Amino acid sequence: MIIRKNKLWFKILSGFRLWEYLLALFTIALVVCICVPISKISGYHIVSYLLLLVVVLLSAFLKTGPIMLASILSAVVWNFFFIPPFLTFKINETEDLLIYSLFFIIVIINGIFTTRLRHQKQKAIEGEEFTNALFILSRELSKARNISEAISIATIQIKDNFNVKAEFILQDGNNNLINTFLLDNTLRLHEFDICQYVFENQINAGKKTKLFSDCDKTFYPLKGNVIKPGVLVVEQNNSYNKKQQSFWDIYISLVTSALEREFLKEKALEAKILSESDKLYKVLFNSISHELRIPVATILSATDSLISTKNNKEITRELYLEISSATIRLNRLIENLLNMSRLETGRIAVRLDWYDIRDVLNKVHSELKEELISFNIRIIVQKDIPLVKIDFGLIEQAVYNVVYNSVQHSSKGTDIVINAAVKDKNLEIDIEDNGIGFSEKSLNYIFNKFYRSDIKRTGGLGLGLSIVKGFVEAHNGIVVASNRRNGGAKIKMKIPTDNPDFINIEIENE
Amino acid sequence: MNNYESILIIDDELPIRRLLEISLEAAGFKVFLSKCGKDGIIDAATHNPDLIILDLGLPDLDGMDVLKDLRIWSDKPIIILTVRSQEEEIINALDAGANDYLTKPFRNGELLARIRAVLRSIKKIDKSSVIRIKNLEIDMVNRTVRNDGKLLKLTITEFSLLCILAKNAGRVLTHQYLLKNVWGYNYSEHTQYLRVFVAQLRKKIENNPSFPELILTESGIGYRFSE
Repeated sequence: MIIRKNKLWFKILSGFRLWEYLLALFTIALVVCICVPISKISGYHIVSYLLLLVVVLLSAFLKTGPIMLASILSAVVWNFFFIPPFLTFKINETEDLLIYSLFFIIVIINGIFTTRLRHQKQKAIEGEEFTNALFILSRELSKARNISEAISIATIQIKDNFNVKAEFILQDGNNNLINTFLLDNTLRLHEFDICQYVFENQINAGKKTKLFSDCDKTFYPLKGNVIKPGVLVVEQNNSYNKKQQSFWDIYISLVTSALEREFLKEKALEAKILSESDKLYKVLFNSISHELRIPVATILSATDSLISTKNNKEITRELYLEISSATIRLNRLIENLLNMSRLETGRIAVRLDWYDIRDVLNKVHSELKEELISFNIRIIVQKDIPLVKIDFGLIEQAVYNVVYNSVQHSSKGTDIVINAAVKDKNLEIDIEDNGIGFSEKSLNYIFNKFYRSDIKRTGGLGLGLSIVKGFVEAHNGIVVASNRRNGGAKIKMKIPTDNPDFINIEIENE
Repeated sequence: MNNYESILIIDDELPIRRLLEISLEAAGFKVFLSKCGKDGIIDAATHNPDLIILDLGLPDLDGMDVLKDLRIWSDKPIIILTVRSQEEEIINALDAGANDYLTKPFRNGELLARIRAVLRSIKKIDKSSVIRIKNLEIDMVNRTVRNDGKLLKLTITEFSLLCILAKNAGRVLTHQYLLKNVWGYNYSEHTQYLRVFVAQLRKKIENNPSFPELILTESGIGYRFSE
C-alpha cells in the first residue's frame, strides 16, 4: 500500500541505503587522514573531539544505521590509529582508557538520541499526514448533497490516497443490496454473492482475509451506527502494516458515517414526502367529493321533481336547465381531472403543427359563447400574424381555462381582452380582465395544483391554472400571472415558435 | 327526409344505447342496437343499415378493426364516437374511412346534425354542378364563385380548396385529406400551406374573417364547411 508516491509511506518504508553507510565510512576515513598530522602537533586527545564533532554533525542528516556505524567506527579508529601503542587495540594508560570509555559512551548515546529524535519526528510527520488526509476526506465528504455524490467523492479520495480502485455496493433502504453494478459488469456474480455474505455477517472477506481469500478483491462491510450502508469492494495488491491498517479502518469509518448520514437524510426526506402526499391526498379527496356531490345532488333533486310532481311548463324547463348546467359542470371537472392526470403521468404528447392562432382563439370563443354573453370580449390579433407551431388542442385548452377563470372572477358587463402576437419567435397570448385580480399572497400559488384563492366564491378544484401551466410548459413556454394596474388579472403565455417555411409555395394569379 | 332510414348503433354502454335509441327513433329513424364489435359486424351485414354509429372503445374488438372490417365490404356512412382529446385516433379513423366523428359527451342536436349531413352528402354526390351555401354560390363547371351575387376572384388553389370543402359541406375533412386532394401527395406534411390558403379564402368568402361562419376549424383535426 502506497499513499501518494514519495509522500507518506515512502518515508516510513525507506530502509537500507548503502550510500549513507559509505558516506559515514568515507567521512571517518577522511577525518582520520586529516587528524594524523594534527595529532603529531597537538596530541591525540584533540582527535577524539574532532571525531566527536564529525559524528554529531553527521547525525544531523544521516539515518540511525550509518550514525551507529560512524560512532563505533570513530571509537575504533581513534583507539587503533591514535592511542598509543599505535596500530593496536591495546590501551596502556589508565587515563586513556577512561577517556576512551567516555568517548565510546558519548558517541553511542548520541546515536541513540538521534534515533529517538528521528523516530519521534517521523511519527509526528506521519500523524500529520494521516490527520491531513482525514481532514481532506471529511471536508470533501461534507460537500456531498446526496448518496451518489458522497460515493463519487469517497471513490476519488480513496483512489488518491491509497491508489486502489474502490467500489461501493449499497443497500436499497430495506437492507437489500442493490446489484445494479452487475449491469455495468464491474462486479461478477460470485463477487456480488460475497458482497451479500459480507453485508449480512458484517465481516471482512476476500483477498488477504480468512474468507474467500482466493478472490482478487477485498470486501469490507460498511459498519454504520444505525444502518448498514453497504459493502466496499477494493482491488489492492499491497499488504498493510498495523499502522496502515488502523489508518485504513479510520478512513473507511469516516466514509461510512458520511454515507450513513446521507442515508438518514434521504429517509427523512422520504418520510416528509410521504406525509405531504398523504396531506395532498386528503385535500384532493375532500375537494373532489365536495365538487362532485353538488352537481350530482342538483341532478338528483331535479330529476326527482320531474318524475314525481306535476310542475308547470316554466318550472319544468328550469329544472331541465339546472340538470344541463350541473352536467356541464361535472363534465368540466372530469375534463380537468383527466388533463391533470395526463400531465402527472407524463402522457402529454405534444403534437406540433402549423396553426393560425385566430382559429384557436375563435374556437375558445365559440366554446365559451354562453358564458361570455354577458361580458365584453375583445380578441385582438396582431396584423399579419404568422402561423405558429403549436398543439392546437393543448393551447386551446390553456386559453379556455384562463378565459373561463376570468369569467368566474369578473362581474358581468366588464371587459375581457385576449391579445395575441408573435414577437422574436415567441407566440405571446395575453388575457386580461377587470375582475378581482389576484391577492398578493396568492400570486405565488395560483399555478399550484388544487390551489384556490377564494373557495367560497366560485368552487372548482383549483386545477384550471395548473393545467394551463402544464400545457404551456409542455411547449417549452412560460406563463406568468400578474395584477393590472387598474385592477383585474393578467395572464401572459409565452410560447416559442418558429417561422413557417414557404420555400416551395407557388405564387398564383387570381 | 325519408322516415324509413335505418341506423345501427354499436356501443357497449347500455345507457348510451338506450338514449340514442329513444332520440333517434323520435327523429324518425329505424334503430338497430349492437353491444359489441362482433355483434355489430353481423348486424351490419344482416340489417344493411343506411348509417352506422360506431363507438371506438369496445370491449371485445378494437373499434378501429371493426371500422376497417366494415369498410372492406360496406360503403355505408359511419360516424364514430370517441372520448375527447384523442385527436390522433379520430384522424386515423377518418383516414380509415369513417365519415365523421363525435366526441363524448355530445349533445343530441349535434348528433342529429351530423347524421343528416352525412346522409345528405351521400345522396347528392355529383347531382349538381352548382352548390349554394348561405350567401355563397359555387359554379363548378364555369369555375365561378359569387357572394351575395357578387363575383369573387379566387386563385386556382383557392378554388379547388373551396370546391372540396363545399362538396363535403357538413363533414369534417382532415388536414391530410385536404392537402392530398388539393396539393397532391407530396404536400401531405405541409400543413402551413393549408393554413395560409384557408386564411386567404376566409378573407374572400367570409363576412367577418375573424369569426368564420363558412370554413369551421375542427381542433387539431381539420376543417368542416358549414351547411
